[in-house]
Amino acid sequence: MRQNVQFQLPDIKIMPSKYPNIIKKYEVILNRTKCIGCGECMTTCPEYIGSTPLDYEAFQKPEGFLRIVHPTSFCLGPTCQRCINVCPTNALSVTLNPQYRMLGDLRWTSDIISSTWKQAETGTIAPRYDYRIGRSEGGFDKLRFDFELVNEEQPDGMSSNEETIDTSLVLNKSDDGRQKITIPIPVYGGDMSFGSVSLNVMLARACAAQAWNSFTSTGEGGYPDELIPYKDHVITQVATGHFGVNAETIKRARIIVLKYAQGAKPGLGGHLLADKNTPDVAFIRDVVPSISLFSPFPFHNVYSVEDHYRHVQLMRDINPRALISVKVSTPTDIDMVAIGSYYAGAHILQIDGGYGGTGAAPDIAKKNIAMPIEYAIPIVHNYLTNEGVRDNITIMASGGIRTAYDVAKAIALGADGAVIGTAELIALGCKRCENCERGRGCPSGIATTDQILAHAIDPNWGSQRIINLYRSWKNQWDYILTKLGLESINELRPNNIVKFKQGFFNHLIHLDYRR
Amino acid sequence: MAIIFERYHIETKDAVLKNKFPSKFIVKRYNNCLNVQECTQACIYDVHKRKDDGQVNEPNSDFCRGCHLCTLVCPKNGLVLQINPDFETVGDSYFTPDRMKTISFEAETGRVPVSGTGYKGLFAGKGFDGMWFDFSEIVRPTRDGIHGREYISTSVDLGRKLPYLRFNASGILHSQIPQSIEIPLPMILDTPCPLANVDSLRLAVVKAALKLKTFAIVKADEYSTGLIPYASNIIPRLPGKYVETFQHLIRISPIIEIEIQNKDKIVDLLEQIKIYNQNVLVSVHLPYDEKSAEQALILTESGVDILHFFLPDDICIQDPERIVTSIRLVHTALVDAGVRDEITFISGGGIAEAAHVPKSIILGADAVSIGRAYHIALGCKTCYGGNHPFDCPLPTEAEESKIVSQRIINLIGAWRDQLLEVLGGMGLREVRRQRGEQGRTLFYKELEEKIFGGNQ
Repeated sequence: MRQNVQFQLPDIKIMPSKYPNIIKKYEVILNRTKCIGCGECMTTCPEYIGSTPLDYEAFQKPEGFLRIVHPTSFCLGPTCQRCINVCPTNALSVTLNPQYRMLGDLRWTSDIISSTWKQAETGTIAPRYDYRIGRSEGGFDKLRFDFELVNEEQPDGMSSNEETIDTSLVLNKSDDGRQKITIPIPVYGGDMSFGSVSLNVMLARACAAQAWNSFTSTGEGGYPDELIPYKDHVITQVATGHFGVNAETIKRARIIVLKYAQGAKPGLGGHLLADKNTPDVAFIRDVVPSISLFSPFPFHNVYSVEDHYRHVQLMRDINPRALISVKVSTPTDIDMVAIGSYYAGAHILQIDGGYGGTGAAPDIAKKNIAMPIEYAIPIVHNYLTNEGVRDNITIMASGGIRTAYDVAKAIALGADGAVIGTAELIALGCKRCENCERGRGCPSGIATTDQILAHAIDPNWGSQRIINLYRSWKNQWDYILTKLGLESINELRPNNIVKFKQGFFNHLIHLDYRR
Repeated sequence: MAIIFERYHIETKDAVLKNKFPSKFIVKRYNNCLNVQECTQACIYDVHKRKDDGQVNEPNSDFCRGCHLCTLVCPKNGLVLQINPDFETVGDSYFTPDRMKTISFEAETGRVPVSGTGYKGLFAGKGFDGMWFDFSEIVRPTRDGIHGREYISTSVDLGRKLPYLRFNASGILHSQIPQSIEIPLPMILDTPCPLANVDSLRLAVVKAALKLKTFAIVKADEYSTGLIPYASNIIPRLPGKYVETFQHLIRISPIIEIEIQNKDKIVDLLEQIKIYNQNVLVSVHLPYDEKSAEQALILTESGVDILHFFLPDDICIQDPERIVTSIRLVHTALVDAGVRDEITFISGGGIAEAAHVPKSIILGADAVSIGRAYHIALGCKTCYGGNHPFDCPLPTEAEESKIVSQRIINLIGAWRDQLLEVLGGMGLREVRRQRGEQGRTLFYKELEEKIFGGNQ
């Protein structure tokens, strides 16, 4: 089922990291007292490229052990062992790099972060990393596609026939005469404001969205003029603070998102701490610089479902061609919220799970408020299916979706697509060190408004990294769909009620309940 | 009669311990450094500040926030970032290093921990970790960003309440209204660590309770004369059989707590206590076990004012689920018997982070008693008496009782602010309304079973 003219996929261009070093998974330790300097290990290493000898002397530690690290080499770890076997004096040992161990966390493991970097760099996955799941012991990390449990050696590469696989998604499923926007991949970029991230990051994301004919969002910090060239691919967010929101920016967009709550801090409103409120940010937001900005919770003109209806209609009236997206988080009655938004006239319902990203939120809210997205998707899907309106609204899942496999699992659970925030930032070099909010902001120059730090990200470099990442994701979706014998990603979404039986549902398996 | 309204406010200020909590990250420099100072320029936290003459300095890991940047930019690849081994070894499986670090931060600054990026931990877990709060999606005007929280009340009442009032034929109130005491936050301080048995520590805790306008529990045999001026904020805890011995404490205390061996005598005991002090509220301190539900009903029947159940730390470490099931058990038994509103139920144990206070309350407790968490705030190394470190920091720190008091105040202040966040998110205007609201809670087990666990 082809909806539109064949979309030309953007090209992959190799975009190496900005840094001379990478954080390696394994490191080789050399015992100096035993080493006789024969150099056998260097010649046998399959990954060691280049002619300059390793800087042995430089890594001399007082204990007499050397860390063999070379910028261009990548140790394959305990599976290889060639250098260890070839060493005549048993002077070598391979260990997990302690720094690699501390990179990332249980949700975004060091493997997922490294593989996302690799994909952003080359547009392909590296099988040496576990790029599919994290270690959070629940949700997506416990779900598998049935083919994943069968022994299969072929890695997701370019092998599948992308001509016949359709990953496109129609965002307007209603028949109200508004434009049928189609995006070639079932994801678009999440809401990040100018103020939480730098202008360069917004430009990189917008440029990538344009290349993919997809979308990115302004977040709640206004619409910088630099984004106007990309206006067909930028969503205007109307949030409770109404920072920089006016009729002009609403009319400019093809999609308008009304943000009612954010998964990381549902019910709490937004924070932008004073240090990040620079004169530039304040100008776009129409506020005084260097004061902390708080957006309230909730919309003070929306206290009932009737108000919600009027609110959506107001946006429809201001911009008669735009699609309306409603972004809500996941309370117990998320099904009621969903049906309310449908009848209010929303085209897209974005449900933002509790484990989503944020620029700044109290830790207590990130962990403890609202349910994870893995539960919310089936609840909403089942309710809307029972009501008979599921095929008239697009459900986008967000909040805790990290990889292409997470997106596919979310779709298999009942969503139409996903909204991606953190993964795009990881592609730009984010290390999830959670220092976005304090002082000058992000040391890597992503979530910052500091003039000097923001220069660390070049928009062209950044946009190509995001393009590469999505190219790799597209390949993985093609692979998944081929494996499942499907032709279109829309077929992956269940048409019936999501109901697991003994841990099985459609193509999904939940490891804890599998019999 | 003029009523002077006073807004409850916890004054927090920095309080630094002599023994600092170990930093989480440690940066090591190999000796191939060429002093090109790429790291100095890259680091925005001044970890790699050079000496005044430009010479290489050891990295100052205390400032490090784990951004990896220095290790990536070093042209000689001569830096490595690691988790501090000293950090990893503190605490245990329940009081994890990260939880202890958070408590330490809250006690030091009194601030709510705020950070960027999403949640990093396990999907869910046992006990309190397997619960999520519900929140109000669109409606409920309780707050406006950070504004509006001053309208949320965290006060709770300690004591009995009547199920209904009786009036005589001429319309005059016939029922006798029982005594109750209102405290402005649903937290009381449990006894200081028994292993750090020094007067100065008890005095500091009691002073903190006075500042917080709540109560601190002190064992009757450790109740020194120095504490008597603070009697209005102290709950003496005494074994039931020594009621006579400690009658002087009963006379000066607003609440006393008894530990009972033979519960049949409780009615007699209460009578005896009321002879010494007609107005004193009587709390009973007992551990959670399988019989907690019937014990709670018997005690409610016999006229006790407060039930104070607790779960010892070691049981909580072995089975974190116990605390959740225990609170629900007692609360449900009281609800089923139709007496829940007549008695105050305080729960202790398992409180290791700010979220555990509203979680205990949402499961059914009126208030919580905080023990180990504030010991950790004062430097406790969670030995639980097993191998008590000879350098236990609690007694030595206690000598600076001002800092110790302030750290307790900071911790409770930060936790109350986070309680307000939760109440605001849930759209509740007072913590009394949160008690037992299990319908506004999402339980991991129930959701998991509902979504993924179908068997038919």
